[in-house]
Amino acid sequence: MIETRGLTHRYDAGPDSDGDNDDGDGGGRVAALADVSLRIPDGEFLVLAGANGSGKSTLVRHFNGLLTPDEGTVTVDGTPVGDDLVAARTRVGMVFQEPRDCFVAATVAADVAFGPENLGLDRAAVDARVEAALAAVEMAGRGGERIDRLSGGEQERVAIAGALAMEPAHLVLDEPFAGLDEPARASVLAHLRGLHRNGTSVVLVTHDLRDVLAPADRLVVLADGEVAVDGPPAEAVEALGEVGVRRPD
Amino acid sequence: MSTTTEGVDLVGEEVVGNLARAALFAALTGVFAYVSFQLPVTSVPFTLQVLGVFLAGVFLGPVWGAASMAIYVAAGAVGAPVFAGGGAGLGSLFGPWGGYLWSYPFAAGVVGLGVHGAGELVDPGDASLARLVGAMAAATLVVYAFGTAGYALVNDVSLATAVLVAAVPFVPAEAIKAAAAVAVVRSDAVVAR
Amino acid sequence: MLAYDPGESAAHRLDARTKLLVQTAFAAAAFAHTTPSGLAALTALAVVLLAGSATPVRTALAEFRVVLPLLAAGPIVEALRLGAPWVEPTAAVAPALASYRSLLLLGLAAAYVRTTPVRESEAAVSWLVPGRPGRLLGVGVGLVFRLLPVLQADLARTREAMRARLGDERPLRDRVRIVTTAGLNRVLGRTDRLAVALRARCLSWNPTPPPSSLDRGDAVAAALAAGLLAWAVWPAGAV
Repeated sequence: MIETRGLTHRYDAGPDSDGDNDDGDGGGRVAALADVSLRIPDGEFLVLAGANGSGKSTLVRHFNGLLTPDEGTVTVDGTPVGDDLVAARTRVGMVFQEPRDCFVAATVAADVAFGPENLGLDRAAVDARVEAALAAVEMAGRGGERIDRLSGGEQERVAIAGALAMEPAHLVLDEPFAGLDEPARASVLAHLRGLHRNGTSVVLVTHDLRDVLAPADRLVVLADGEVAVDGPPAEAVEALGEVGVRRPD
Repeated sequence: MSTTTEGVDLVGEEVVGNLARAALFAALTGVFAYVSFQLPVTSVPFTLQVLGVFLAGVFLGPVWGAASMAIYVAAGAVGAPVFAGGGAGLGSLFGPWGGYLWSYPFAAGVVGLGVHGAGELVDPGDASLARLVGAMAAATLVVYAFGTAGYALVNDVSLATAVLVAAVPFVPAEAIKAAAAVAVVRSDAVVAR
Repeated sequence: MLAYDPGESAAHRLDARTKLLVQTAFAAAAFAHTTPSGLAALTALAVVLLAGSATPVRTALAEFRVVLPLLAAGPIVEALRLGAPWVEPTAAVAPALASYRSLLLLGLAAAYVRTTPVRESEAAVSWLVPGRPGRLLGVGVGLVFRLLPVLQADLARTREAMRARLGDERPLRDRVRIVTTAGLNRVLGRTDRLAVALRARCLSWNPTPPPSSLDRGDAVAAALAAGLLAWAVWPAGAV
């Protein structure tokens, strides 16, 4: 379980967290997070929505200790993330926007193995995890391929496999559909549904709600760094217009 | 870094940031090695490799600038096609251009020292023109000293011949690269942080 | 372009470290014996090694056409004189042998690159440089292999855009500046995303050691390297 209590995050005025000021990941010009309390049980499929700059990316980066709260606490399975970063980062797997910029190796298997290798597992365990993670995204047998030769959808799936190789309880995806065409988007979503069915909690950060509410247990919408809407998708969706998020057609 | 589970010793946040930057500048230097321009009049082709060396020193400082170029040389030595014209391999380090390659970590360190001094890093945009130009001139000297000595040694020719073959044709290009580096560092077109 | 080419040759099965050792020993021997007979012997060995790595000699040479003019220029310039007789061919002999030696070394390097996957090279770097510097160097080298095609694509787009706007007619200094600015901004824009990704995936000082695949073939190659090194330190006249 991931739990935030009274989580507040302030950015210094200036460029946002990745320096490009354009992707709404909680830049300094807009509010970051104010007193966010949220509890995400194991196994839940949660869609986290909100307009650009609403603080979505900032919030999820607290889940595994990539950011440090200014006020409040974040715990994973009851342990404050700052007390055990390794535990937080293995329990909460994260797939970032633009996976292209987040791969750390040239070939598929080497990249997926990176996380487990950092944990110091023995070689056989690493290999087993890589195999399982690639199978889960239907990339089995393609470990030797070069990442830059894969399509956008395949790259997204490899990025997911990289997170899965840590055997996380929660899989957090930040705008995974950005830059994907329709078939690739559908394929990635289908894989997420499959993972959820097998017991992984999925936290899907997106501003594009088409098709994602059907598998979701819950919809949380952030506005100006606060939780504006929180509830089962069927009900929560009614309140979307007021917080600047387009309703899915 | 404080946090370890089951003995996992995480690399600290600051080192990770520097490593990411160092690897990116190493890759940029590798990409610059393919980008070929031709000098007017003489038509001597030149690549922008050295510009990558300058920028690594300017943006990463002496320590991580030198580390970045060490990564560049090591990557090329084990087969990343990052040397001039997409070359790679240990043979390049013992080849006619080898001296130049060996010089890069030192040259980036010299640029870093010249721009930042030995202490905390400064914003490169704030560095005075004299400092920038002086640092790059000194680094260029280092590059050519290694480069021509390497050529003379590897190709068994006199230093005079080495200077004539491996240095003189390229010096005008160095001036262009240094000018570009200075202009880029001091322009608003780059968001340095 | 030089790149790994999967295969089943003897060299493909060797450990990256062994191959680096053989190259280094070969280079030492070549520098110690830059004589016609020494280089002839090494040429024969190089041909055998290339054959054992499924690298045709022609391919190895083609990879290095970039440096060929520079290799040729040394002997030519050295033989020129500023007065009569203007050309003194004997002065070109030593530089010509040296240039030929470079060619042999570059050929072997081509064989290494074609037979060694990136991952093994990365592991070899971590192994050769011990401790934390080795870890950083190993990860850094892996990142360079990954980032190279990404930044290449970025820069290719910039140059295309420049050409489309008749940028080719701009002064050289401007063109260099435009390409540099684009490259630098791509790099700076990626830094934070990459660093965050490395942290999220628990980049650590004490990872799983790379797989080691030393076997009998490696022992044979190591013996060859030892022989070459011994020959390198042997007085040149004695062989």
